Amino acid sequence: MKLNIDGLLVYFPYDYIYPEQYSYMLELKRTLDAKGHGVLEMPSGTGKTISLLSLIVAYQRAFPLEVTKLIYCSRTVPEIEKVVEELRKLMEFYAKETEEVNNFLALALSSRKNLCIHPEVSSLRFGKEVDGKCHSLTASYVRAQRHGNPNQPVCRFYEEFDAVGRQVPLPAGVYNLDDLKDLGRRKGWCPYYLARYSILHANIVVYSYHYLLDPKIADLVSKELAKKSVVVFDEAHNIDNVCIDSMSVNITRRTLDRCQNNVDTLQNTIQRIKETDAAKLREEYRRLVEGLKEANVARETDVYLANPVLPDEILKEAVPGSIRTAEHFVGFLRRFLEYLKSRLRVQHVVQESAPQFLKDIFDKVCIDRKPLRFCAERLQSLLRTLEITDISDFSAVTLISNFATLVSTYSQGFTIIIEPFEDRTPTIANPVLHFSCMDPSIAIKPVFQRFQSVIITSGTLSPVDIYPRILDFRPVTMASFTMTLARTCLCPLIVGRGNDQVALSSKFETREDFAVIRNYGNLLLEMSAVVPDGIVAFFTSYVYMENIVASWYEQGILENIQRNKLIFIETQDAAETSMALEKYQEACENGRGAILLSVARGKVSEGIDFVHHFGRAVIMFGVPYVYTQSRILKARLEYLRDQFQIRENDFLTFDAMRHAAQCVGRAIRGKTDYGLMIFADKRYARADKRGKLPRWIQEHINDGSLNLTVDEAVQLSKHFLRQMAQPFSQVDQLGLSLLTLEQLESPEMLKKIAQIAHQT
Amino acid sequence: SYVAAMASLSEEVLLVVKKVRQKKQDGTLYLMAERIAWGPEGKDRFTVSHSYSDIRCQKISPDGKAKVQLQLVLHTGESTTFHFANESTSRKDWEAAKELLQQLLPKFKKKANKELEEKNKMLQEDPVLFQLYKDLVVSQVISAEEFWANRLGGINNGESAACENKQEVGISGAFLADIRPQTDGCNGLRYNLTADIIESIFRTYPAVKQKYKENVPHNLTEKEFWTRFFQSHYFHRDRISTGTQDIFSECARQDEKGLKSLVTQGVKNPMVDLLSLEDKTLDEGYGISSALPSTSHASRTVKESSNFAIIKRFNHHSAMVLAAAKQKEQMNSFINIFKLITVYLLRDVPADQASETSSTDGNSRDSDFFQPPLKKVKLQEAIEYEDLQQENRPKTVALNLKKSDRYAHGPVPLQSQQYTTSQDIINSVNYIKHEMSNYKPNLTQVLSSAAASSAIAALSPGGVLMQQVAQQAINQMVPTEIQAELKHLYVAAGELLRHFWTCFPVNTAFLEEKVTKMKSNLERFQITKLRPFQEKIQRQYLSTNLTGHLECMLQAAYSKFHIWQTRRMMRKT
Repeated sequence: MKLNIDGLLVYFPYDYIYPEQYSYMLELKRTLDAKGHGVLEMPSGTGKTISLLSLIVAYQRAFPLEVTKLIYCSRTVPEIEKVVEELRKLMEFYAKETEEVNNFLALALSSRKNLCIHPEVSSLRFGKEVDGKCHSLTASYVRAQRHGNPNQPVCRFYEEFDAVGRQVPLPAGVYNLDDLKDLGRRKGWCPYYLARYSILHANIVVYSYHYLLDPKIADLVSKELAKKSVVVFDEAHNIDNVCIDSMSVNITRRTLDRCQNNVDTLQNTIQRIKETDAAKLREEYRRLVEGLKEANVARETDVYLANPVLPDEILKEAVPGSIRTAEHFVGFLRRFLEYLKSRLRVQHVVQESAPQFLKDIFDKVCIDRKPLRFCAERLQSLLRTLEITDISDFSAVTLISNFATLVSTYSQGFTIIIEPFEDRTPTIANPVLHFSCMDPSIAIKPVFQRFQSVIITSGTLSPVDIYPRILDFRPVTMASFTMTLARTCLCPLIVGRGNDQVALSSKFETREDFAVIRNYGNLLLEMSAVVPDGIVAFFTSYVYMENIVASWYEQGILENIQRNKLIFIETQDAAETSMALEKYQEACENGRGAILLSVARGKVSEGIDFVHHFGRAVIMFGVPYVYTQSRILKARLEYLRDQFQIRENDFLTFDAMRHAAQCVGRAIRGKTDYGLMIFADKRYARADKRGKLPRWIQEHINDGSLNLTVDEAVQLSKHFLRQMAQPFSQVDQLGLSLLTLEQLESPEMLKKIAQIAHQT
Repeated sequence: SYVAAMASLSEEVLLVVKKVRQKKQDGTLYLMAERIAWGPEGKDRFTVSHSYSDIRCQKISPDGKAKVQLQLVLHTGESTTFHFANESTSRKDWEAAKELLQQLLPKFKKKANKELEEKNKMLQEDPVLFQLYKDLVVSQVISAEEFWANRLGGINNGESAACENKQEVGISGAFLADIRPQTDGCNGLRYNLTADIIESIFRTYPAVKQKYKENVPHNLTEKEFWTRFFQSHYFHRDRISTGTQDIFSECARQDEKGLKSLVTQGVKNPMVDLLSLEDKTLDEGYGISSALPSTSHASRTVKESSNFAIIKRFNHHSAMVLAAAKQKEQMNSFINIFKLITVYLLRDVPADQASETSSTDGNSRDSDFFQPPLKKVKLQEAIEYEDLQQENRPKTVALNLKKSDRYAHGPVPLQSQQYTTSQDIINSVNYIKHEMSNYKPNLTQVLSSAAASSAIAALSPGGVLMQQVAQQAINQMVPTEIQAELKHLYVAAGELLRHFWTCFPVNTAFLEEKVTKMKSNLERFQITKLRPFQEKIQRQYLSTNLTGHLECMLQAAYSKFHIWQTRRMMRKT
């Protein structure tokens, strides 16, 4: 259908529309008009992605000079591919309706591991290995060596791309990862570099958060993207953690040992080159003296990781004299390494700020702040000069130099914590130096500054107003949308008591309480008898889950559950869990039914959807608070309190509730879907917890379902499931939660729609 | 003569037990590959012989009883009791026979399913049918299936289709839980093990089956084997293997290996592959180290590793239970996947492009080739909003509930007094009406009596179709045994002819095939049954005319077949 969104003609590739989609597009348009940023929460399964794409594409077509590019960031590879497929659908619709050839270029970009077609390189298992091997075949000096030595292996796909791939821009169309690979195979071009090159002139780019938020990668990939771009962060409920991750470093004893080897190798290589090709080193030195930031012109294939600090923090000066010669720099690295080693020899926990660390390093080994700031750059230059091929082997020394640059650049928003051992195993020495970013706004700041509109959106962003505070930006629109429903297809229940009236809670004091564990088991058992097909249960942590599972096993609860359904359990091994997940789906599919025991904040809770029969009920055992004893967390909470006036408890509850909402939201993936959401902890009944759930869940919790016993919950569930099992057709939805164009245009409906968006 | 014939076949004798009494007569018990037999002392024939598939179960005298006996209960309900009478070795002999039977019987059990019992019963109840069976099936004129094809139809009418494509019964996820140990009152545990549970264990844990095959009965008795099984850490999933000489520690290792290979195989559905979920290739040194405990084995406490073992075992157990139920489906699903791929190739890749794809890459890795279709399907599934599109899927029948309340709450238990409300009466009348309206007489199976008798008249000697042969009063002409034999021949020929004629009109491929087969059956009957009989009466100087009618009937069938065949050939050319 063709929509009129506030005067903008929007092509929408479906025959019907949800009212909230219309409302969402309206808000989005206002944000783009104002050239500002927005925070929009809309339940999953209400077609958020297609609404975003439809509106922004329409906007781009209407105002090609105002918005030149859409940068769509998502979290996981399957999500990225899904977005591209939806885009394809939209583009096909455009082609059909307008009957003209579309000149839009849209493509996905992913790491080499997902794009490489070189037979040997792509068969490597880990992304890091693929990157390393690729570098060893495509680095400019490797390719230069081939002129002298034709046996030097290079990548024929890159060679071919380099020779002809840039001459003609990629023809218009929609390219998913597999399409790029197909094209690459057909033309004999490297799909990865083709995609990296093509994003510069593409109208729509879909890639992962890291390509924008991690300066080490963003500087390589996204540096030249146009400022008049709209950036969308989808599934952004965890964006603060991504930001923090991208600026943090951990150093263990093993890192330092590997780093020691790296430094030795560097030394030997320098020695060898000095004997054979001293001119090379002299040339590097000369260029550094001349103040060239980079000693060589770095080709796209040469740089492995860019500077870890944000572009506006990078010094535009010459490398200081003390680390200009290769040998001096290696000596400098050695001193720095020895210092770090001495710091890891601690008996008790040390926490200090970056300035304290810098003062200490100056006092102890006379290392200045300035050479430290150049450390990352200088190392890159040296690795290029030495023509190192196996760059992934040097990951340890790269990490150390990145740390050096980070710690000397930022005096605020970071903390250094050195722990001699893990809290759980105080007898085993395992010192770790954590350099953690505490301020997510640091990493995302350049994005807000650079691009005219940044949209932060997800199914669960409640409370919406906390995101602008922790990310430090001023949105022009903040809205939370509800899900219009013709039938109440979600049933949130708060189970606060066992049948024996024991209060259910995962709080620390009652964690080991057998009565609670037994009642939790009873809840799962009863549910397994009532709920068809799949049930997903989430625990607050791995340790908690392991203990409960063991206890349930001893008490024979699991055996009884097995009479109803098969049991699969998430482990910390991703491959094993993937297998369990697939088997779980298989068991749901063939009618046997299964239960998946999983962990909030785990991989499953973050990336896997349980649509329809794959998840007819989600049980959240306890409130998934983050492990509060962690020193990093404590430091972060302190920082939030001092800098943003966010109280510790507010943040912790917010964090717990967003993860709980993520977990339970996994089961509802659309209006034709249905599922139970069982919150098994009496604390959920409190207003401060409940109030932080997304509005679309909150509004279905009635006062009668706040403190149920297990039996009561089972009764309500039975009733709910029987109602949901009734046939539900499109006609039932029409006019209520599903509209035709005609219905949409009626004045009453427009008035109703205006209430869907809940402005904050 | 029957027994002699059976004995003359070379059979593998698995066990011979001497001094076994049956009906107070001394004799020898033989356990052979397919049957158990007993013959009285001094005679070289068996007076008792049971095929294993006829045996429903064996019953044994309890331990410590003076008389050491073994009873075989047949499917027919009869039973035979053997008494092991050798004073010194009776107990040992008995054990050996019992163990061997225990292994042999389940193998034959599957054959002896309900259908077989039903057939047995029919044959026993109907001597004419039994004779026919012997004439046609035992002498291999037609196969047993053909024989039963439309006999059994009467028994389970309608079910036959379901039977053909019988669904494999899966395994209960909780079969291990059903063995709940019970204390037997004197400081021991009793585990209840049934054949079904053993079957479940074997299907779920092939490694245990392997062990069983290796050790029972050579090294361990059945009982010892299971006792050890229940004592092993293997059964108790929370116990950690201590590396003892337990025969099941190898099972655990094999399971571990199996699990590992399952894991390394990876998953087919890219949407659940957690390994390739994230698009990040940085070292572990970057980022906030999560508060997860390290997974290294060294730092685990005993309790933790036991918890870990439980979780692993549950995953493995569930996967194996799923797999056990799936073995048969696999072929089908493979075919489905193949179809899917074919469809994909046909739809999306033009032929020239497809060939180009494979040639530029040079290496045709299967994973690369097979992955995209499934991935594409899954992706499309994931982005589909069924309600936003016009409905165009096949209409299904909606459940029409008059009282949805009642459906939602379930039935309410009736109070003690019984009464019939007018509603009940109306309901039952409605029900009967409904039944009646749905009643459909099976008209195709019925022949009008007039037509039937005229057909019989036409086919009888002297009838329209059988004019060459005259009616004869047979009872004065030939001895009774020839009469009986002739009767059998008539019955058998009648049965075959019935099969033959039911094929007309030949309008399906199946019938075509059947009619051809039936014709050859008739010919075979003529050669193997009718000819010898004719020769026999010739030798006794009796009138060969006796079989004239039979031959005539066969000729009628042959000519019908001939006409049909020529017509068919003409149509084809």
